[in-house]
Amino acid sequence: MIEIGRICLKLAGRDAGRDCVIVDILDNNYVLIDGNVRRRKCNVFHLEPKTDVIKIKKGASHEEIKKEFSKLKLDVWDTKKKEKTERPRKIRGKKKADKVEEEKPKKKGAKKNIDAKVVSVTDKEKAKNVPKKKETIKKVAEPKKEIKKGE
Amino acid sequence: MPSPNKRSRSLRRVYVKTPGGKTTLHYRKRKPKVAHCSKCRAILKGVPRERPYKMVNMPKTAKRPERPYGGKLCSKCMREMFVKKARS
Repeated sequence: MIEIGRICLKLAGRDAGRDCVIVDILDNNYVLIDGNVRRRKCNVFHLEPKTDVIKIKKGASHEEIKKEFSKLKLDVWDTKKKEKTERPRKIRGKKKADKVEEEKPKKKGAKKNIDAKVVSVTDKEKAKNVPKKKETIKKVAEPKKEIKKGE
Repeated sequence: MPSPNKRSRSLRRVYVKTPGGKTTLHYRKRKPKVAHCSKCRAILKGVPRERPYKMVNMPKTAKRPERPYGGKLCSKCMREMFVKKARS
Protein backbone atom coordinates (compact mmCIF):
# COMPACT_ATOMS: atom_id res chain seq x y z
CA MET A 1 0.00 0.00 0.00
CA ILE A 2 2.80 2.42 0.86
CA GLU A 3 4.47 3.36 -2.41
CA ILE A 4 5.66 6.47 -4.22
CA GLY A 5 2.70 8.32 -5.72
CA ARG A 6 0.07 6.90 -3.36
CA ILE A 7 -2.45 9.51 -2.22
CA CYS A 8 -3.04 9.40 1.52
CA LEU A 9 -5.03 11.14 4.22
CA LYS A 10 -3.02 12.63 7.03
CA LEU A 11 -4.31 11.66 10.45
CA ALA A 12 -2.05 13.41 12.96
CA GLY A 13 -1.10 16.98 13.74
CA ARG A 14 -2.38 20.26 12.43
CA ASP A 15 -2.55 18.92 8.85
CA ALA A 16 -4.89 16.09 9.90
CA GLY A 17 -7.77 15.50 7.50
CA ARG A 18 -5.83 16.79 4.46
CA ASP A 19 -4.73 14.87 1.37
CA CYS A 20 -1.09 14.22 0.59
CA VAL A 21 1.15 12.18 -1.72
CA ILE A 22 4.06 9.98 -0.80
CA VAL A 23 7.08 11.46 -2.57
CA ASP A 24 9.85 9.33 -1.13
CA ILE A 25 10.27 6.35 1.15
CA LEU A 26 12.95 7.18 3.67
CA ASP A 27 12.85 4.29 6.07
CA ASN A 28 10.88 1.32 7.29
CA ASN A 29 8.62 3.70 9.19
CA TYR A 30 9.03 7.10 7.57
CA VAL A 31 8.06 8.60 4.23
CA LEU A 32 8.36 12.06 2.67
CA ILE A 33 4.98 13.62 1.89
CA ASP A 34 3.78 16.67 -0.05
CA GLY A 35 0.54 18.03 -1.46
CA ASN A 36 -2.13 19.72 0.61
CA VAL A 37 0.20 19.51 3.62
CA ARG A 38 3.52 20.99 4.52
CA ARG A 39 6.27 19.01 2.74
CA ARG A 40 7.76 16.91 5.52
CA LYS A 41 8.86 13.59 6.91
CA CYS A 42 5.95 11.54 8.25
CA ASN A 43 5.38 8.30 10.09
CA VAL A 44 3.53 5.64 8.09
CA PHE A 45 1.09 5.12 10.96
CA HIS A 46 -0.02 8.73 10.63
CA LEU A 47 -1.25 8.13 7.07
CA GLU A 48 -4.41 6.50 5.76
CA PRO A 49 -3.72 5.30 2.19
CA LYS A 50 -6.44 5.95 -0.38
CA THR A 51 -7.23 4.15 -3.65
CA ASP A 52 -5.63 6.65 -6.05
CA VAL A 53 -2.01 6.52 -7.23
CA ILE A 54 -0.26 9.29 -9.16
CA LYS A 55 2.70 8.81 -11.49
CA ILE A 56 5.51 10.89 -10.07
CA LYS A 57 9.25 10.52 -9.82
CA LYS A 58 11.02 9.74 -6.59
CA GLY A 59 11.62 13.00 -4.73
CA ALA A 60 9.45 15.02 -7.13
CA SER A 61 9.39 18.79 -6.57
CA HIS A 62 6.46 20.69 -5.12
CA GLU A 63 5.58 22.25 -8.49
CA GLU A 64 5.33 18.86 -10.19
CA ILE A 65 2.95 17.70 -7.48
CA LYS A 66 0.95 20.91 -7.89
CA LYS A 67 0.30 20.03 -11.55
CA GLU A 68 -0.77 16.49 -10.69
CA PHE A 69 -3.05 17.67 -7.89
CA SER A 70 -4.69 20.24 -10.16
CA LYS A 71 -5.60 17.39 -12.56
CA LEU A 72 -7.33 15.57 -9.69
CA LYS A 73 -8.91 18.84 -8.52
CA LEU A 74 -7.31 18.70 -5.11
CA ASP A 75 -6.11 21.70 -3.15
CA VAL A 76 -2.41 22.34 -2.63
CA TRP A 77 -0.70 23.81 0.38
CA ASP A 78 1.27 26.88 -0.53
CA THR A 79 3.43 28.75 1.89
CA LYS A 80 3.06 32.44 1.46
CA LYS A 81 6.38 34.19 1.28
CA LYS A 82 6.54 37.31 3.32
CA GLU A 83 7.34 40.38 1.34
CA LYS A 84 9.97 42.46 2.97
CA THR A 85 8.48 45.74 3.98
CA GLU A 86 10.79 48.67 4.40
CA ARG A 87 10.93 49.87 7.93
CA PRO A 88 10.70 53.55 8.59
CA ARG A 89 14.15 54.03 9.99
CA LYS A 90 15.12 56.99 12.06
CA ILE A 91 17.97 59.09 10.81
CA ARG A 92 19.11 60.87 13.89
CA GLY A 93 20.58 64.12 12.69
CA LYS A 94 18.36 64.72 9.69
CA LYS A 95 14.94 64.15 11.17
CA LYS A 96 15.41 66.53 14.04
CA ALA A 97 16.86 69.12 11.73
CA ASP A 98 13.89 68.75 9.37
CA LYS A 99 11.43 69.11 12.19
CA VAL A 100 13.17 72.18 13.49
CA GLU A 101 13.20 73.69 10.05
CA GLU A 102 9.54 72.91 9.51
CA GLU A 103 8.22 74.14 12.82
CA LYS A 104 10.34 76.98 13.98
CA PRO A 105 10.68 79.10 10.88
CA LYS A 106 6.91 79.40 10.55
CA LYS A 107 6.54 80.67 14.08
CA LYS A 108 9.64 82.78 14.00
CA GLY A 109 8.94 84.02 10.52
CA ALA A 110 5.41 84.97 11.45
CA LYS A 111 6.55 86.67 14.58
CA LYS A 112 9.41 88.32 12.83
CA ASN A 113 7.18 89.70 10.15
CA ILE A 114 4.79 91.09 12.68
CA ASP A 115 7.63 92.41 14.78
CA ALA A 116 9.35 93.80 11.78
CA LYS A 117 6.27 95.80 10.86
CA VAL A 118 5.82 96.99 14.37
CA VAL A 119 9.47 97.71 14.79
CA SER A 120 9.65 99.43 11.51
CA VAL A 121 6.89 101.78 12.58
CA THR A 122 8.24 102.26 16.06
CA ASP A 123 11.80 102.62 14.91
CA LYS A 124 10.95 105.55 12.74
CA GLU A 125 9.22 107.25 15.60
CA LYS A 126 12.02 106.33 17.97
CA ALA A 127 14.57 107.46 15.49
CA LYS A 128 12.92 110.85 15.49
CA ASN A 129 12.40 110.96 19.25
CA VAL A 130 15.47 109.33 20.73
CA PRO A 131 18.17 111.66 19.54
CA LYS A 132 16.27 114.60 21.00
CA LYS A 133 16.05 112.88 24.36
CA LYS A 134 19.75 112.11 24.33
CA GLU A 135 20.52 115.71 23.69
CA THR A 136 18.34 116.77 26.57
CA ILE A 137 19.98 114.26 28.89
CA LYS A 138 23.40 115.47 27.92
CA LYS A 139 22.42 118.99 28.53
CA VAL A 140 21.11 118.10 31.96
CA ALA A 141 24.10 115.95 32.80
CA GLU A 142 26.76 118.45 31.87
CA PRO A 143 25.83 121.17 34.27
CA LYS A 144 25.85 118.76 37.24
CA LYS A 145 29.42 117.76 36.49
CA GLU A 146 30.44 121.32 36.29
CA ILE A 147 28.93 121.92 39.68
CA LYS A 148 30.80 119.01 41.13
CA LYS A 149 34.03 120.21 39.65
CA GLY A 150 33.46 123.54 41.08
CA GLU A 151 32.95 122.17 44.57
CA MET B 1 -11.32 32.99 64.09
CA PRO B 2 -11.54 33.52 60.33
CA SER B 3 -14.73 34.97 58.94
CA PRO B 4 -17.61 32.53 58.26
CA ASN B 5 -17.16 32.42 54.47
CA LYS B 6 -13.55 31.36 54.99
CA ARG B 7 -14.56 28.59 57.38
CA SER B 8 -16.60 26.86 54.67
CA ARG B 9 -14.91 24.86 51.97
CA SER B 10 -16.47 26.65 49.04
CA LEU B 11 -13.17 28.49 48.56
CA ARG B 12 -9.99 26.56 47.93
CA ARG B 13 -6.96 27.22 50.07
CA VAL B 14 -3.59 28.16 48.66
CA TYR B 15 -0.41 28.40 50.65
CA VAL B 16 1.52 31.45 49.51
CA LYS B 17 5.04 32.30 50.51
CA THR B 18 5.27 36.00 51.24
CA PRO B 19 8.30 38.17 50.55
CA GLY B 20 9.00 38.22 54.29
CA GLY B 21 9.52 34.46 54.29
CA LYS B 22 6.29 33.44 56.02
CA THR B 23 3.82 31.01 54.50
CA THR B 24 0.28 32.31 54.71
CA LEU B 25 -3.11 30.92 53.77
CA HIS B 26 -4.90 32.55 50.86
CA TYR B 27 -8.46 31.79 49.81
CA ARG B 28 -9.27 31.61 46.13
CA LYS B 29 -12.25 30.55 44.05
CA ARG B 30 -12.31 26.96 42.88
CA LYS B 31 -11.17 26.01 39.39
CA PRO B 32 -13.67 24.69 36.83
CA LYS B 33 -13.88 21.04 35.79
CA VAL B 34 -11.30 19.46 33.51
CA ALA B 35 -12.12 19.46 29.79
CA HIS B 36 -13.29 16.11 28.41
CA CYS B 37 -13.57 14.58 24.95
CA SER B 38 -17.14 14.98 23.77
CA LYS B 39 -17.15 11.48 22.25
CA CYS B 40 -15.34 9.20 24.70
CA ARG B 41 -15.23 11.47 27.78
CA ALA B 42 -11.47 11.08 28.13
CA ILE B 43 -9.58 13.92 29.80
CA LEU B 44 -8.24 16.33 27.18
CA LYS B 45 -4.57 17.17 27.35
CA GLY B 46 -3.30 20.60 26.47
CA VAL B 47 -6.44 22.36 27.66
CA PRO B 48 -5.67 24.45 30.76
CA ARG B 49 -7.95 24.32 33.79
CA GLU B 50 -8.38 27.97 34.65
CA ARG B 51 -11.08 30.47 35.42
CA PRO B 52 -12.36 32.50 32.47
CA TYR B 53 -10.56 35.70 33.47
CA LYS B 54 -7.25 33.88 33.10
CA MET B 55 -8.27 32.12 29.88
CA VAL B 56 -9.10 35.48 28.32
CA ASN B 57 -5.54 36.68 28.75
CA MET B 58 -4.02 33.51 27.32
CA PRO B 59 -3.07 33.25 23.64
CA LYS B 60 -5.30 31.06 21.49
CA THR B 61 -2.54 28.52 20.91
CA ALA B 62 -2.13 27.95 24.66
CA LYS B 63 -5.79 27.07 25.13
CA ARG B 64 -6.14 24.03 22.87
CA PRO B 65 -4.06 21.66 20.71
CA GLU B 66 -3.64 23.00 17.20
CA ARG B 67 -5.23 20.21 15.17
CA PRO B 68 -8.71 19.89 13.72
CA TYR B 69 -11.24 19.43 16.53
CA GLY B 70 -8.50 20.37 19.03
CA GLY B 71 -10.01 21.04 22.44
CA LYS B 72 -13.24 19.20 21.49
CA LEU B 73 -12.20 15.65 20.62
CA CYS B 74 -9.28 13.59 21.85
CA SER B 75 -6.69 12.66 19.24
CA LYS B 76 -7.85 9.04 19.10
CA CYS B 77 -11.47 9.94 18.35
CA MET B 78 -10.37 12.49 15.75
CA ARG B 79 -8.29 9.86 13.93
CA GLU B 80 -11.09 7.34 14.05
CA MET B 81 -13.43 9.88 12.54
CA PHE B 82 -11.08 10.69 9.64
CA VAL B 83 -10.38 7.02 8.97
CA LYS B 84 -14.09 6.24 8.86
CA LYS B 85 -14.64 9.10 6.43
CA ALA B 86 -11.79 7.94 4.18
CA ARG B 87 -12.99 4.32 4.08
CA SER B 88 -16.67 5.04 3.58
